[in-house]
Amino acid sequence: MSNNNTRFWDRMQNLDRRYIYIVVALAIIIPLLIPFNSKTYITEPVENLYKKVDSFTDREDRAILMCFMHDASTMPELFPMEVSILRHCFERNIKVFTICFLPTAAPLIDYAINTAKEVGGFDVKSGIDYCNFGYKPYALFLPILLGMGEDIAEAVETDSEGRKVENLEIMKDLKNYNELNLVIDFSASASVQTWITYARVKFGANIGAGITAVMAAENYPFLQTGQLVGMLGGLKGAAEYEKLVDIFASNNVVFSKEIVKETWIPITDKQIPYQFKIARIGMNAQSVAHIMIIVFIILGNIGYFVSRKSKNKELG
Amino acid sequence: MKRQIPLIIVIGLGLLFVIHTFVPHKISEDFYEWWQTWSKAISPFMVLLGIMSLFMVHSTKIKRKTANWQYSFVTLGGLLITAFVGFMWGTREGTPYMWLFKNIQMPMSATMFSLLAFYIASAAYKAFRARSVEATVLLVAAVIVMLGQVPLGAQISHWIPDTSKWILNVPNLASKRAIGLGVGLGITATSLKILLGIERKYLGGD
Repeated sequence: MSNNNTRFWDRMQNLDRRYIYIVVALAIIIPLLIPFNSKTYITEPVENLYKKVDSFTDREDRAILMCFMHDASTMPELFPMEVSILRHCFERNIKVFTICFLPTAAPLIDYAINTAKEVGGFDVKSGIDYCNFGYKPYALFLPILLGMGEDIAEAVETDSEGRKVENLEIMKDLKNYNELNLVIDFSASASVQTWITYARVKFGANIGAGITAVMAAENYPFLQTGQLVGMLGGLKGAAEYEKLVDIFASNNVVFSKEIVKETWIPITDKQIPYQFKIARIGMNAQSVAHIMIIVFIILGNIGYFVSRKSKNKELG
Repeated sequence: MKRQIPLIIVIGLGLLFVIHTFVPHKISEDFYEWWQTWSKAISPFMVLLGIMSLFMVHSTKIKRKTANWQYSFVTLGGLLITAFVGFMWGTREGTPYMWLFKNIQMPMSATMFSLLAFYIASAAYKAFRARSVEATVLLVAAVIVMLGQVPLGAQISHWIPDTSKWILNVPNLASKRAIGLGVGLGITATSLKILLGIERKYLGGD
């Protein structure tokens, strides 16, 4: 019996990785196909970013800038964040600008704006309620970042439609980082640190980050020092922001911790469009995948200890 | 001269930017604005250089029929087709460019990145073993943070997300800060060496 047991764990130790791949694939695909309700808990960095964005509601002299610093590969994590923040801005009449320094990010901006606009049914106009600065070569990242500290229109010059930025209605009452007071960088790298080093330190701009889960740990020192006003880390951050927009922005209500605690939003609710709950559906898949990985780790370790014990016995 | 001129440009401009940071004089501000205009003018040439370099590398591969030379056709074809549809019909929603992006680039990029999940699961199963005290600490921390990242963790017990938060805010933060300080000091030292002309490896050669 003991011999059989050891053999079983030995075989488990050398399990063909294709079986693991099948289990992981099923653990991800099934929750995506059959969404189920799970709770989304709001964390402080997400709450702080939401409150900062929300504080610009109906203000002509405040705007946010969203910098898309990633390509399509990290879309599953970052795209829901971008759509949620754009939706928040459109719901609460907050002026929003978008920019990117990677050519592969330019279509993402259009896609995010159109998704938020069309699915949400918002009557917002380019150049009045929002403005896409579009793609600027990466070599201009630093000159534009620094230039916006003096004069946004002069630094950026034209928007994605080729219009002179200084002539746009949205630019009324906006000059530099004193007004464009919140920059949110979405990336799978440490690019937000460039915004902190220059826009935050030199001009006092508030900086937020939307970042992939694997890079989130890099930014905790900046959250603690307050150099980052808030952060959305991975799909979890996106899911939390989606929930906050559902509870508050879409109902034109100001943030309150008590309401968050008391409110339960089932994602199976058909009234919420799929594009506005995609991160929460994805979190179901992530939950199951994490559990599977933990189970794999436990099984691997049991196998390791059983094999080691039997080897020790054999050696006497 | 091939090494001296770039060296003079780097040292001269480097020192000027250091001076600009500390001296808010009008001459310093004018210099800064002048640099911003120039840097904008230089950037299109960098894009051109990149495209030329890509063409040269891949056309050489095709000519010499080196390993996997067939893929160079795909790279160059992708570049030409994307550029053509972009210039012809623009890059906005509803254009062929956007169709290419949504139906080719988006799924291919996402597929490549999502392969990570499979590799992580397989690697966790095969290699994540409690072989020593350090490995056990890492393993326990990883399991707590993984559980703390998903709603199920909080549903099991509130201490899971609380402990996960503590791991990220205390030991993780301390180590990140130490690494950050080390990197910062390294950057300062290297910058000084470049400014003083001691470090010259960026010029190429030995």
